[in-house]
Amino acid sequence: MFRPSNDAERRQAVDVAFGYRGDVTLELATGEKIEGYIFNRNASASPPVLQLFPKKKQAGTRVVPYADIVTIAFTGEDTATGNSWETWVKKKESERKAEAEQVKADAQARGYL
Amino acid sequence: MFTVSRYVLTQRLKRVKRYPLVLMLEPLFRCNLACAGCGKIQYPDHVLDKRLTPEQCWAAADECGAPIVSIPGGEPLIHPEMPTIVKGLVARKKYVYLCTNAILLERKLNDYQPSKYLTFSIHMDGLQEEHDLAVCRDGVYDVAVKAIKAALKRGFRVTTNTTLFDDANPERVRKFFDAMMELGVEGMMLSPGYSYEKAPDQKNFLKRHRTQELFSHILHNPKRGWRFNQSPLFLDFLMGKVDYQCTPWGNPTYNIFGWQKPCYLLQDGYATTFRELLDQTNWDGYGTGRNERCADCMVHCGYEASAVNDTFGSLRGFGRTVVTTLMPTAR
Repeated sequence: MFRPSNDAERRQAVDVAFGYRGDVTLELATGEKIEGYIFNRNASASPPVLQLFPKKKQAGTRVVPYADIVTIAFTGEDTATGNSWETWVKKKESERKAEAEQVKADAQARGYL
Repeated sequence: MFTVSRYVLTQRLKRVKRYPLVLMLEPLFRCNLACAGCGKIQYPDHVLDKRLTPEQCWAAADECGAPIVSIPGGEPLIHPEMPTIVKGLVARKKYVYLCTNAILLERKLNDYQPSKYLTFSIHMDGLQEEHDLAVCRDGVYDVAVKAIKAALKRGFRVTTNTTLFDDANPERVRKFFDAMMELGVEGMMLSPGYSYEKAPDQKNFLKRHRTQELFSHILHNPKRGWRFNQSPLFLDFLMGKVDYQCTPWGNPTYNIFGWQKPCYLLQDGYATTFRELLDQTNWDGYGTGRNERCADCMVHCGYEASAVNDTFGSLRGFGRTVVTTLMPTAR
């Protein structure tokens, strides 16, 4: 969890969160907590803001001024970890088959096959 | 070809400095495959469940004005309104390349009508062994071949798109070209794989000199029957015969997040409008020698437009295009 103590730290923390391939939870100065995926940030805007898709089902995006952020926690799974080509090739065939079946079963359950 | 030529010449006559050639329209990121290393699907579930509406897709195409619209993803055929999206783009006389892994294609063919404006661009990364390994699922190659045959039989335009990584065997790739031509596809598109910034593995993606070596072996002495759906100068670029700077605005990307800065591969932020993308992106901060993330990139989404600009930007470029088009085996 990041608890930035000044604007420079806040900018850095937002940059790291922007690059994270999972959901984060922001605690705001109002006490509100929002969990979602940060997909955009503009540090040079006035005021600097970020945009996220809240995890809870609702339409639209949420725009959050940097100044309102008290903490940033990386609460969601990193969807990029372990999903590299090299990792795939290194796995035993039995592991690859099992993983491929899992992905296939998920797609079938969603009706995408 | 005529439409693109007329469009490019019109932009040049109007002295438009930066113009789009292909809109990369990503209506969703959800996929029914999980190809290892694909950076396009690495999002939480609630993001993968988001979709662009047909109206958003058409508005992006109208705003951008590019004559060609490529629809990648995710897997576009998962989108429940994809036939409507395509119909609206075809009505706008956009040349649509619907990129698909073809798993759902045969089932969905009745939802589409053959048209000179619609091409199914089938993701095929090589012969059966290579393709099934690349997409991390056995049997996909056979499903795709069956779907290609069905689509061709129904009168649809079909091309293939192939991404090649560090382990590509040039002889096997050449045999793959033979197989695709035998199937009867209209043309093939090639690209080196890109090291997605957020993909944890950076080792298996091609470095520039290796890319040039690989494509020189693959494309040297090409067979007369091979047809590539790409600028011949781009293929020369892949082989290291000519050098270009990237043209990221040539293939602008629009998806659920907005207009992606600066290109299809890098995600440095999003603009709300196409004009904002053009005006507020620091274009000079990207490209070979300007940004370390661009150092080894030779992907078509940045360099195909550069090759097209070369064709229409100089007599030499035009001449070379004519020669390599009329005499492809002269490479």
